[in-house]
Amino acid sequence: MEIGRTLWLDLTLAGLITGGMYALVAVGLNLQYGLMRVMNIAHGEFLMVGAYLAYWAYTLTGVSPLLTLPAVFVALFLIGLLVFRLCFRRIARASPSVEVLEARSLLVGFGLMFLIQNGAYLAWGADLRGYEYLARPVEIAGARFGANRLVVFAFAVGVSLVLLALLRFTLFGKAVRAMMQSPRGAQLVGIDVGLLHPVVFGVGLALAGVAGALLSMIYEISPAMGEPYTVTALIVITLGGLGSAPGSLLGGLLLGLVETYGTHVSNPSMKMLLSYGVFVLVLILRPRGLFAR
Amino acid sequence: MTISRWARIAVATVLVALTVTPALAQDPPVRIGYAIARTGPWAAGSQVTQEPNYLLWAEQVNAAGGLNVQGKRRKVELIGFDDRSETDTVVRTFEKLMGSDKVDLILPPWGTGANFAVMPLIQKYGYPMLAPTATGRKLIEMKNPFFFALLQQPDRIMGALADFLAAKGAKTAAVIYVDELFGLETVGALETALKAKGIEIVDKKSYPLGVKDLSPVLRDFKAKNPDAFLGITYPPDTFLATAQAKEVGFNPKVFYVAVGSAFPVYKQRMGETIEGVTGIGTWNPKTGGPAKAYFDAHVAKFQKEPDRWASAHAWAGLQILQQSVEKVGLDRKAIRDHIAATEFETIVGKIRFKDGENVTTPGIVSQWQKGEFEVVWPTDRATAPALFPKPVWK
Repeated sequence: MEIGRTLWLDLTLAGLITGGMYALVAVGLNLQYGLMRVMNIAHGEFLMVGAYLAYWAYTLTGVSPLLTLPAVFVALFLIGLLVFRLCFRRIARASPSVEVLEARSLLVGFGLMFLIQNGAYLAWGADLRGYEYLARPVEIAGARFGANRLVVFAFAVGVSLVLLALLRFTLFGKAVRAMMQSPRGAQLVGIDVGLLHPVVFGVGLALAGVAGALLSMIYEISPAMGEPYTVTALIVITLGGLGSAPGSLLGGLLLGLVETYGTHVSNPSMKMLLSYGVFVLVLILRPRGLFAR
Repeated sequence: MTISRWARIAVATVLVALTVTPALAQDPPVRIGYAIARTGPWAAGSQVTQEPNYLLWAEQVNAAGGLNVQGKRRKVELIGFDDRSETDTVVRTFEKLMGSDKVDLILPPWGTGANFAVMPLIQKYGYPMLAPTATGRKLIEMKNPFFFALLQQPDRIMGALADFLAAKGAKTAAVIYVDELFGLETVGALETALKAKGIEIVDKKSYPLGVKDLSPVLRDFKAKNPDAFLGITYPPDTFLATAQAKEVGFNPKVFYVAVGSAFPVYKQRMGETIEGVTGIGTWNPKTGGPAKAYFDAHVAKFQKEPDRWASAHAWAGLQILQQSVEKVGLDRKAIRDHIAATEFETIVGKIRFKDGENVTTPGIVSQWQKGEFEVVWPTDRATAPALFPKPVWK
């Protein structure tokens, strides 16, 4: 099929925007699993909580979801500290190796998933909910996109870059990376693992919440919405290389582009086949992910 | 614990039993069992369209003194379980309700798949089931004598859509459909119906459930400029197709999205955007006095509106069950025979079944106009004239 110049631009931008969304969903989990090996399978559920917070703030008080983002961040950060203290701290301390930590945290994550999802059902019911915000189209070089999607894209790129800078250029980033490489060694050189661990976990959760708040501007929300996002996040961070901030951004964008072009020339029903095809290919060629070092 | 204490407990138990037993003997409630999704992915549909009706109905019946069982009033006791959106839980729960609990009657679960799964059981145990959220020739063709489908079937719905398009002079259509049982059967029916009316399909694409981006397809469609966009879509994708058609500025004369367009949340979520959007409907509060009364009671009890398609069919199913029990009592075989042989007056008009299919309710096209999902086709059921062409997205 021939692709004209405007359509080319159209599809590329659409693919990048979708990809940015994938990257955004993955950022939080990348901190938790990628860096700390805490397999928080309830990632999507915390995203759901963030989405509901933004929804209620907007529908009850009319506050713009963009303005509630800091509040969502703080709220989920605090929840993250609490969850870590209650569920993951002992596991992180007692696990003899990262493999054991992964397995044990996975089980805890499943429990959390059920608790949070059912809590949401009890509190808010099963109804689909949604609101209209920034749904007006914006024109870029002749192609039209929803303003809310552009905001999500900008945010995804922004967060990824900030994270990249933090991890690479600051002492904090060094400490986090050291903690990941060798928790005991990190403690020996004076890194306060007892503080750093919960903080990184909390930030991961906070970013999941922020992603949820942003996505609530585009998609309908329901207590069951989280699981597919967890799967997307896992694919993206594995594709990009565990713990790599640029990897997860570029991995997400790559997936978005492949899906958009693929569905254009074939059929949206091929979407799954295409994204898993890319995933399998990357795992075969670069088993540790595109950007793993 | 001393002996005297045991004795006191025994005496108390006997006393309680004595006071309770006569009441029970006088007035045993009619036990009606069901499993339905309260959690999981089906819950968004079942909790809008189906279970609220069960609760409202039981409350109304009990407030009126109970269910009329051949002239004798008996209270209704609903025994409902969460099926967690799992087919095996649906089957297990209905097996328990009918096989060991031996409830008097059952109400159906939500969705074509779940109904399909319990069909062998209702035949085995002989429980009539009036299903408001099951579509598909496959179900009807099973010729299960205890199964009654309240909704219009895909060929009827698509036939009405094609008639509507032809009447408005539409010549071309672009189609997307969900890649799943409902979508496949419906798109087949649509192709047949459009062909009969000489309407050309310029493009046809399928998409998977839970799709997050339909813009590549909609951009293609926009370039082809068809008269009508026909989306055989499910709820989340119905919203997505609408929002993205607006984003890319795709403005066909008819914009049709199938399932979910009748949900009140569609209006709440999209606001003025949806003016002129068409979809599958059956009724609205203007349809008639009983429909209005139902609508008001629903809003009063749940603070949310029923949907403008299957909610009323669910209610009609309860009306049919109630009328049958009044006539023939709780003999389930007799109820089945009565349902199969009688024409009922319901809030969506007369309903009569032939081989388990509702053959009296026509396929209906409805359209959002100023906050109400107006019936616009067929004209004898219309509550408002159609807006054609659909106004440009707001």
